[in-house]
Amino acid sequence: MTATSARTPQAAPATAAHRTPGAPRLAWLHLRSRRVPAGVLALALCGGLLHAALRFNWTFNSGRYAQLVPMIIAAGAAAMIAMTAHSPFGEAERPTGRWLPYLRLGTAAGMTAAAVGLLQLGVVGMSLNEGVLVLARNVIGFTGLGLLCSLVTGGLLAWTLPMGYMAFCQYALLASWTSPWTWPGRLPADHGAWICACLCLAAGLLLFTIRGPRTQVSDDG
Amino acid sequence: MSALSMPLPGAAQVLRLELKRNAVPMLLPLLAVVFWFDTLSTADAFPPVWTLRASVIGNHMLFDFGAFAGGLAAWAGSREGRRKTLDLVATTSRAAWARLSIALAGTLCWLLLAFLAGVALLYVKTALEATWGGPPLWPVFVGAAGVTVVTAIGFTAGVLLPGRFTAPLVAIGTLLLDQAGLHAALVLSPAQGTYAVLSPAGLPPMLDAGVYYRVPPDVSIVRVMLMGGIALALFGVLGLAAGIRHLIRVGGLRVALRALAGRGDDVRLRMTAAVLIGCGIAASGTAIALAGTAQPDAAGGWMIPALHSAASDRPIPVDWDCTSAAAGAGVRPAFQVCVSQAFSFYLHPVASALTPVAAEIAGLPGAPAGAREIASVAGGQAVMSGITGTPPVFDFTADHVGGVFGDFYGVGMGQAFQQGMLDAFLARSPPHAGGPAYVLPQFLNVPTPLGAAQQAVENALLAPFGWQPAIAGPAAQQWQGPALAGILAAARRFGALPASARHAWLAAHLSALRAGTVTPAQIP
Repeated sequence: MTATSARTPQAAPATAAHRTPGAPRLAWLHLRSRRVPAGVLALALCGGLLHAALRFNWTFNSGRYAQLVPMIIAAGAAAMIAMTAHSPFGEAERPTGRWLPYLRLGTAAGMTAAAVGLLQLGVVGMSLNEGVLVLARNVIGFTGLGLLCSLVTGGLLAWTLPMGYMAFCQYALLASWTSPWTWPGRLPADHGAWICACLCLAAGLLLFTIRGPRTQVSDDG
Repeated sequence: MSALSMPLPGAAQVLRLELKRNAVPMLLPLLAVVFWFDTLSTADAFPPVWTLRASVIGNHMLFDFGAFAGGLAAWAGSREGRRKTLDLVATTSRAAWARLSIALAGTLCWLLLAFLAGVALLYVKTALEATWGGPPLWPVFVGAAGVTVVTAIGFTAGVLLPGRFTAPLVAIGTLLLDQAGLHAALVLSPAQGTYAVLSPAGLPPMLDAGVYYRVPPDVSIVRVMLMGGIALALFGVLGLAAGIRHLIRVGGLRVALRALAGRGDDVRLRMTAAVLIGCGIAASGTAIALAGTAQPDAAGGWMIPALHSAASDRPIPVDWDCTSAAAGAGVRPAFQVCVSQAFSFYLHPVASALTPVAAEIAGLPGAPAGAREIASVAGGQAVMSGITGTPPVFDFTADHVGGVFGDFYGVGMGQAFQQGMLDAFLARSPPHAGGPAYVLPQFLNVPTPLGAAQQAVENALLAPFGWQPAIAGPAAQQWQGPALAGILAAARRFGALPASARHAWLAAHLSALRAGTVTPAQIP
């Protein structure tokens, strides 16, 4: 090989060039690297668990206690979304291009929508106390917390904050707290609760898009 | 060389490294915040009675710890799989079981340390406020067993199914199990009775649990046996982890069995693991079988005949705390109020609520000369308040007065005591059984409601204390429309009479009033 031939860029293999257009392939590789397909399956499992809980009466039909199991599952779904924040490439991925923040945003937003949809699917034909709106509100609020947590702990431990906050909110629910920031236990028509949950998601999505998850701490355990 | 810098033996050194590198300490602040807001806040809202406060260990603390313990243990257990170092560490001189055991021990040490620190804080706060008794230890054993079993479940799941979603899935599964236990305990259908007994989650016990009768350890023993058995079996499973992982990965039963029963130096380890699994399953199975024989005991809890000691059924000698106040201008005998020393903290609020009402009816036939707290459960039946004995005494319980249930700690429940005593006086009802102690209060037989004339008299007698039960009390739902208007009018007329005239009318018409032959219109 001469120096000239080494400097000449090699043509990409014809099979790769014709395989898929660049943007969808990039998006698909991003999703795969974040284990999004497995994450969607995990969300479907959460929907199935919710369906089973309602069908086999693992939960109460009315009253405050009826909110406990749906709240756990909403927090679990949010934890799954937060887990997809983890990148196996870590720091090395960041300087690779300008699309990464958009891919992060699209993945997180898409997973949130999928979570809401799959959980709603899980309650089809069942009677869910306080309705599906509360479930959706809880998913988006907990997801915001999970994304925020991933900035501090990294993606793989980002499930901890939604779970911890959910445990606190179970107490707040049973103790009849009315603060809007205890949104998981509030009524569907509570505007303050909706605002708090949406703010959480907005803050989580914004910071997660801009900064991305932390890449160090998670790998220490 | 100092003692601290001396090299530790191999296992201890690895454990020290594990403790240093474990993820649990990083999340302890979050766990502490959840513990503070959930467990401690709930305990603070309870009266400072040891058994009641200790119930938050099973009802709240295990829920808080369950999510984190399961998830973090799964995180620690999936380390080798997550980092794809399984083949690398397979060549180490120690058995995989030893390596996994140290990772499990490190995680468990941190979690148990955090759990025991939480219990210590809870018990110190209770000790500073409680007026009687000492810390119960069985809830701590059950809680520690719960943390251990959840950690073992999470760790084993992490080892066998390493993946990023394992930790949150284990956390959700743990919390759902806890909720299913709570549901079983609250609903208590025959189909779920065994699970209700085995689950540490449930309703708080009676307020005076452990005050008048000992809390038998039967159920706690069974719970520890079940959870210890599961943890032991899972620890054995870790010894066979390589074969099971192979089964999961390859999907071939024959290959997996060959890996499990392979010859060589590990055979003894595998045999030990199999024995541990067998012992664990036997212990858990025995616990489930024993829980199936549980029966309600005389004190409102559960007893398991095979484990029950008759000594638990003997009542505890009660240390009374009493106060007396002159009932009625100092001319009549003092009205004495007595409560168990465990409830000394509410003696004076109860006495100050009851004494002026007692003065209104002092000297009338059947009027109480005192009030006394009694056990809230007798012979397995919830006890309803009433007036009994000679001289008559108003008996109430720490869990029930009149038509009101619940704890009367630090709440303005003086009205409940006043109405409860007048209800018993006007209806002449003695303390009676309200139904099985294990059912929810709303399903118990509350005392028969007063008639219209009795209600009018009660309203008039309580009006000087700023309230009328027919409008605002537990009896409010009973009266509406013209009946309520008649009662209120009669109460106004009767209340406007001088105290001596009221007393004289009551003395003359009390029998008829109790018999229900007086109408509100006949009240002067």
